[in-house]
Amino acid sequence: MTSSLIIELGHLLNISIKAGTPLLLASLGEVYAERSGVLNLGLEGIMLIGAATGFIVAYSTGCPELGVLAAIVAGAIIGLLHAFVCISLQANQVVAGLALVMVGTGLSSLMARDYVGIALKRALRPVKIPGLSRIPIIGEGFFHHDILVYASYFITLILWFIMYKTKYGIWIRAVGEDPSAADAMGVNVYLVRYICTTFGGAMAGLAGAHISLAYTPMWVEGITVGRGWIALALVIFAMWDPLRAMIGAYLFGTTEVLQYWLQMPLQAMGIDPSLLGTFPYVATIIVLLVGSFERIRKRIGAPASLGKPYVRGF
Amino acid sequence: MASPKGALFTALVAIICIIAGLGGGWFIAWNQARGEVEALRAQVAELSKRLAAVEAKPPEVAPAEKIKAAWIYVGPVEDYGWTYGHDRGRRYVAEVFKDWLETYAVPKVSGAECLQVIDKLVAEGYKVIFATSFDFMDATYKAAEKYPDVIFFHCSGYLRRQNMGTYFAEFYQLYYLNGLIAGALTKTGHIGYVAAHPTPEVIRHINAFALGVKEVNPEAKVYVLWIHAWYDPTKARELAETLINKYSCDVLAFTEDTPTVVEVCQEYYEKGRPVYAFAHYSPMLKYGPDVCVSGQLVHWEVIYADILMKIKLGIYTNTNLENVDYWWMLREGAVELGCDYGVPINPKFIPVLKNIIVEKEIMLPNGTVVKNPSVYDLVFIRLAQMMEESPTFDPFTGPIYDQQGNLRVPPGERLGHDALWTMDWFVDNVVGEIPKGGGA
Repeated sequence: MTSSLIIELGHLLNISIKAGTPLLLASLGEVYAERSGVLNLGLEGIMLIGAATGFIVAYSTGCPELGVLAAIVAGAIIGLLHAFVCISLQANQVVAGLALVMVGTGLSSLMARDYVGIALKRALRPVKIPGLSRIPIIGEGFFHHDILVYASYFITLILWFIMYKTKYGIWIRAVGEDPSAADAMGVNVYLVRYICTTFGGAMAGLAGAHISLAYTPMWVEGITVGRGWIALALVIFAMWDPLRAMIGAYLFGTTEVLQYWLQMPLQAMGIDPSLLGTFPYVATIIVLLVGSFERIRKRIGAPASLGKPYVRGF
Repeated sequence: MASPKGALFTALVAIICIIAGLGGGWFIAWNQARGEVEALRAQVAELSKRLAAVEAKPPEVAPAEKIKAAWIYVGPVEDYGWTYGHDRGRRYVAEVFKDWLETYAVPKVSGAECLQVIDKLVAEGYKVIFATSFDFMDATYKAAEKYPDVIFFHCSGYLRRQNMGTYFAEFYQLYYLNGLIAGALTKTGHIGYVAAHPTPEVIRHINAFALGVKEVNPEAKVYVLWIHAWYDPTKARELAETLINKYSCDVLAFTEDTPTVVEVCQEYYEKGRPVYAFAHYSPMLKYGPDVCVSGQLVHWEVIYADILMKIKLGIYTNTNLENVDYWWMLREGAVELGCDYGVPINPKFIPVLKNIIVEKEIMLPNGTVVKNPSVYDLVFIRLAQMMEESPTFDPFTGPIYDQQGNLRVPPGERLGHDALWTMDWFVDNVVGEIPKGGGA
């Protein structure tokens, strides 16, 4: 009985982490973009472009790894475009981001029109890590995944390290808090913002590739079905911290999977299981509420200059 | 519905089916059944030729008038499910009738936008409008009142008018056949069903599937979980994995508009843990070459061709559609058993299925008794029976009990169209609840 419970929990953890990974990848990039002061609401659109590009390249070359690279490049290009519009043209970031969603949705469906109903010869399949995967629960949970999940572990750690332990992290945070002060200190505000926003796009592209090459290896129109929006909520939930984004992503993933895992028992108790599905949004609202208190806000709040274009000497 | 000629023709084919079944075994019967679908298409082509001949005469009666027909879709064209199926039908008639038919499609329309879209289409001169979602029913009905000159056809609804007909390609026979196979293949005795929304259609399909399972494997249970979406690959995956890992299901069927479930099963197969699946709506064999056993395929083009032909010939007008309700299934060729067109059962599974014997006797219409057929034979016997002019078999034949043990269908009786159309209960070997306040 207990051993079957251990196996079951291992599977639950496995599915939850897989479900959380696209959210994690997209939100990590967005954490960087927003930390530098650029809001990108277009994650959903960029993820779709990444998913479509990744699938097309993976199918055409027969190599999903190339698809992943292509998705990153495609995402970066869109991120760069957003950077140009928001930083150089100083457009309204909310409007620009929403426009990206529409562009991404339309463009991805146009690009990949002929790839509907086609299966990849090789998708990114789960690989067990020898040794580690034999640890009860944790082994199945963390070490029986596709390479992008493993990559996300390292990316999270590296991004956290850069953000908090290097001078580049200080630059990024300074630019997002007070760009004119950062400028006065000799930090190139525009360059930092350009790099962070482009990086954010690249990560959203990667998240899309995880969906179309590993999670559900196929192309269908609108394949991300709103994951980009949840990733945006996750950034707030994580309070702009890569490690917390990881915890949040797995928490969101777990609650989503629990909706189904507990569907029958909850129904039997007369509780609507889809209540669990609202968790990401409810949790985000709570964080927003808590974060709005002045004292807490200073410690964990949004970057002070988020969404504000920087004009030198203004 | 079908023209008397069509009825005569299908009757003829059905008789041929039976004779062939007697002589050459049931696989030949299947070929005949396939042939019937082809024959129907040939009939469409023939009628189309005759029509062309009529048009070739000097146009003193009327100039070769083009019919402008528009389709309204609820989803994206490239969903590889419901909307994809309809658009395939549209492209087919657009090609076959290109001399006199002009088509146009509006994708991603919500129920609230439908009336507006229809206004626009009518203003642009579209005379035939196909509304392909249950959500469009009220809007389409209103539009039919507003534009009495335009012919409307609404898919999956029940409201009709003198200028508004209804049509549907129904799958329950196929789900039953899939259930026979699922019941035979399961080793754990747990079969999973990834269900979209708790509508009568989905419930009917789950029940038909479960009845098939029960016929070959009375002990097996069908576990049903709901994703509450017609289209969401990510959720479908999570749900499929839940069924596999929490409920140890080793065969899955589903209602969702993407090949996700088949893809997940293929992944589990490659992990060394085979889970089998059935394709839904579109060919999905290529997503799961090792796991996709059979499935349900739709041929909306058969219905669209019939409707448009009859409009062109003046059989259907804007004044006589009050009782035009297509409820087309295997016999009419609107649906097909298979994981790909022309592949009723993945060849990989044929030897296995031929080796599993079902202990029962089946009396064929001609009086022959088949004793202990293999599952494979049983599938094709049932298929042929359901393809007859008046089917000698229907999955919803009593006695059928619901989950609470109430007798829902008395022995020997068959559920009629209305009972199937409003179904809101599960048969007794289904595990799971129908959420309250369901619907899309």
